[in-house]
Amino acid sequence: MGKAPVPAATGKRVVVVGAGPSGLTIAKYLKKRNKAVDVVLIDKRAVFMSGFISNLVATGILPLDFITHDFLAGARNSGYHFLQATVVDVDKKSKTVYTNEGSLNYDVLVLAPGIDYDYSRWTNGDMALEERLKTQYPAAFIPGSETLTLKSKITDFEGGNFVITVPGGNYRCLPGPYERACLVADYIKKNDIKGKVIVLDENPNITIKADGFHSAFKTLYPDIVEYMPSTTISKIDLDNKVIHTELGEEIEFEDAALYPRVRGNKLLEIVGVAKDSVFNKMEADIDPFTYQSKVDPDIFCTGDVRPMGFSKSGNTANTEGKIVAEYIDMHLSGKKLGRDTWKSPLTICYSAVTSDPLKAVSVNAEYAYNDEKKAFGFANAGTMEKWNSKDGVNAGKGLIEWGKGLYRDFFM
Amino acid sequence: MDRRNFLKVVAAGTAVMAVSPSMISGRLYADDGTLYAAYEKVQLVDAAGNPIKASGLKPEVNYIFNYPHVGTPCLLLNLPGKTDVDVKLKSEFGEEYVWKSGVGKDRSIVAYSAICSHQMTHPTPKDSFFQYVPTTKKTMAYDKSGIIVCSSHLSAYDAKAGAKVLAGAAGQPLASIVLEHKDDDTLWAVGVLGADKFHDYFKSFKPELKEFYNGSREAKKLVKFSAKTIPLTEFSQELIQY
Repeated sequence: MGKAPVPAATGKRVVVVGAGPSGLTIAKYLKKRNKAVDVVLIDKRAVFMSGFISNLVATGILPLDFITHDFLAGARNSGYHFLQATVVDVDKKSKTVYTNEGSLNYDVLVLAPGIDYDYSRWTNGDMALEERLKTQYPAAFIPGSETLTLKSKITDFEGGNFVITVPGGNYRCLPGPYERACLVADYIKKNDIKGKVIVLDENPNITIKADGFHSAFKTLYPDIVEYMPSTTISKIDLDNKVIHTELGEEIEFEDAALYPRVRGNKLLEIVGVAKDSVFNKMEADIDPFTYQSKVDPDIFCTGDVRPMGFSKSGNTANTEGKIVAEYIDMHLSGKKLGRDTWKSPLTICYSAVTSDPLKAVSVNAEYAYNDEKKAFGFANAGTMEKWNSKDGVNAGKGLIEWGKGLYRDFFM
Repeated sequence: MDRRNFLKVVAAGTAVMAVSPSMISGRLYADDGTLYAAYEKVQLVDAAGNPIKASGLKPEVNYIFNYPHVGTPCLLLNLPGKTDVDVKLKSEFGEEYVWKSGVGKDRSIVAYSAICSHQMTHPTPKDSFFQYVPTTKKTMAYDKSGIIVCSSHLSAYDAKAGAKVLAGAAGQPLASIVLEHKDDDTLWAVGVLGADKFHDYFKSFKPELKEFYNGSREAKKLVKFSAKTIPLTEFSQELIQY
């Protein structure tokens, strides 16, 4: 295989795989910390689209270009190389990344490829069913075509049941399915459609901002949203458009966004740095305090592949990315990373519950390590769930500014 | 003699902009130029063009003036008590500097760039997520008020201590605006201390700068002679604060 089309490294080279919130932040802040480091950011996509804010685009509240951004802007403004390519393999011994555009060498490799879906509980290995689920009823939690499919589903919705599922495990964007339920219901209400939103939640309760979402369901959409907690799906019958639950319920649906469990991106397995976490299959097998692979300290795995149970959200990946960039800079200069160098990422996120005017709820939290439980938990957490107040309207405005701030941080 | 806030700067890291103290109109603001930039010396005036008097500033009111550029908003505050002195601060990437203190009779007057050091949220004529939260109000960002808060991502800054980061995702203090308080009680802005965000700001907000300042070229111009200083409630149509 030939060499990838990037200039020869001018200093120590860090190759970052995945240009989502995590990879974009790391590439930029590595260059900010140390101009001498040569950074190559690789992504298979031609255009950036964010998962955060995408429910507002799918329901027509914001235009598509709000969440769509230019990878080249980030490369221009921060001075790293952007390579549009798909990583197919990594040779840890020779420190080589192989892509469909050729190979390149690294001193440090960062894997931030994000999630994949784990359909196995629904399909039991039936790949034809998995393909139909992915194509006809995509989860729309990996932004891109899935987002566009969801948008057209909502725009074209003529009535009946719109089913939204919430998976177990530590899935990407905890409030996302509930926000979506609110906004689809809001769309149904505004357009006077004879339809319902049925939320099938594998969890015993709404997983985050529960008071805010419950009160939004009850107050704003009493005849539209039906919330079904502790619902495990036993069978999805696509021919008859019926979902069967373990409790014997049969839920007919006209349309749906079916969100299966998530797992670590398959690239981790290819590289040989994956392991089942307590939450999900095949997440990164790393030292949770340093993000370094247990088999190779020159490989950092971060963003939504981390196994620590942090919220899988763009904002978490952004604040974490700045910290990981600092770790990598320290590692390159020979400093030892460990628990004493650990810093907590921050999770701040807003979720809309209604569109006119836009009202939202929010959560903000840090993380702390619990030595007894040997696990991370929330620390200094707070929520604002009174959407039906001045704060709720402010949070609606805050949501927009929050998103814009993240895009600025990624690309400017 | 003028009562100025003298700035002592501890040299560390790389100099962002080196200004020799002797070059600053013969005045001494910093031991060396690390993270200090001198700009036009500008008098703070009210909406009618009359000089702002330090003793006339209402306590805990958010005032806005644009400095050092036509399109870069700053926050002017008369805090309820004396500020801290000789506060050691650090920029995002490790440059150290010292913020000397507030100015005025009670050493309670401070000014900071109102561009959040996190993701550059700032007051616009339309709205502001960024403001000082008076001691009588509460904020989600921190367990105490009397601080500066950006309600976009809940960064909190210590108004009485050089806008040191108290909470949130911000990686460095707000840039400070260096003020001079003269014997006739007038206030003058003379420079910027700390790592500012002006470059990224001008790059990021082209559409907004066009809307509010007739484009980024106009917005980048340096403020000369005087800077109109008005309450934030008059500068922004809507204030949003948690």
